[in-house]
Amino acid sequence: MSTHTDIYRSRVRWVLALGLWTLFGATGCVTATVQEIRQSATSMADGDAIVVLGRRNRPSTTQTELDFVDCVSRNMSGGSNSVAVISEQDFMDALFPWFEPRTAPLASGELPALLQETALAERISQIGLKYLVWVEGNTRRISQGGSLSCTATPGGAGCFGFLSWENDSSYEASIWDAHSGRTVGRVSSEAAGTSYVPAVVVPIPIIARVQASACSGLADQLKSFVQNEG
Amino acid sequence: MSSIFTGAIFKQAGTRLVFGTLLLVLAGCSGTKNVLPQANFPIPLVDKTPITMGIHLDPALREYVYTETVGKKGEWNVALGPVQVELFNNLAQGMFAEYTVVEGDAEPIGSVEGVDAVLRPSIAELQFALPEQTRSNYYEVWIRYNFQLFDANGTLISEWPLPAYGKANKNDFGNSNRGVEAAALAACRDAMAFFAINFDRDPAVKQWLDMRGTPDT
Repeated sequence: MSTHTDIYRSRVRWVLALGLWTLFGATGCVTATVQEIRQSATSMADGDAIVVLGRRNRPSTTQTELDFVDCVSRNMSGGSNSVAVISEQDFMDALFPWFEPRTAPLASGELPALLQETALAERISQIGLKYLVWVEGNTRRISQGGSLSCTATPGGAGCFGFLSWENDSSYEASIWDAHSGRTVGRVSSEAAGTSYVPAVVVPIPIIARVQASACSGLADQLKSFVQNEG
Repeated sequence: MSSIFTGAIFKQAGTRLVFGTLLLVLAGCSGTKNVLPQANFPIPLVDKTPITMGIHLDPALREYVYTETVGKKGEWNVALGPVQVELFNNLAQGMFAEYTVVEGDAEPIGSVEGVDAVLRPSIAELQFALPEQTRSNYYEVWIRYNFQLFDANGTLISEWPLPAYGKANKNDFGNSNRGVEAAALAACRDAMAFFAINFDRDPAVKQWLDMRGTPDT
């Protein structure tokens, strides 16, 4: 009896240990690259703000993920060297209808003409907008393989098999000066990684956080870029 | 005998359980989906046209519901009517020096006091598509509005269609109801944006404004 109890307790500890390891430690490897091209000097003064917008103009069939744009905004407004960030939705509402998918400027050269709209120029001045950051790109699953099957019987349950998939994130941010209407630089962030789920009774997910890695890399580089930190 | 009888009961009960579960699952898959967008439309940031505009929102617009049966997905009801009131109120507030909502049904407008013109919008057509149908990542909604502009005497100044489009990435929304709702609201915003920028570019509207001595915005 005590032997069966010991075996049971041992198994419970093993499953708990695996679960904690999965929760806190088991992340897949991600390869990330960030590049920057600077065309003009930049700076942020007190009261200046930036906005991060996802590209969704027509007739493009792609659309930058909302949660990625939100991730970049949050990361830029937090941590060290944080900058003031206007949320995408607040910006689009405040400057409606000038930055909708059908009406948004496609190139920085279109900004000066847009700023001829008196009400628009006043609103941009009111909100303290210094730079617009246009983000385009997406995260795609480029391959996957393996299989996983799970069964449940009165005697117990378990999963067996092996799954893997590879995600690729590729994003580019164009930074426009809101006053001069010029592109001041570009920052690109690429990340790739493979996630695995081996299962021997208990599936153990080892997830490569590809999109999160692309987001943090892009946000950190943008922060240093707009504050002209090399 | 009792064991055989018991076995038969179990077998019959088991069959009923499986069939009932299957019906529940199928009902969940093919039930009616009601899309009821909740709007919060912004007010356009444009130079106001210095006229008093009457906005005529007839019941057909205010109560507009689009119904479609989508294969095995069941019946979809997209209730776009209720948000049109806020849409056109906010649109008029941003575009015209003054505006008022004109009551009435779908009959010819007739003369209206206290306004320079009456705008009557209607939804001529609506279509939507699910990601599974287009093999894409997007929910999509197309709306074709129709606008009529009358002068204060009820004479038609101009009539024009306005196609609007909205889409929503399925990865941004947890279920298809919310995806279609987001795409429908995006299409409404698209219509507002296009109307706000291009209202006075319609040739007949431009000519009418010029005759009134009203500067283009």
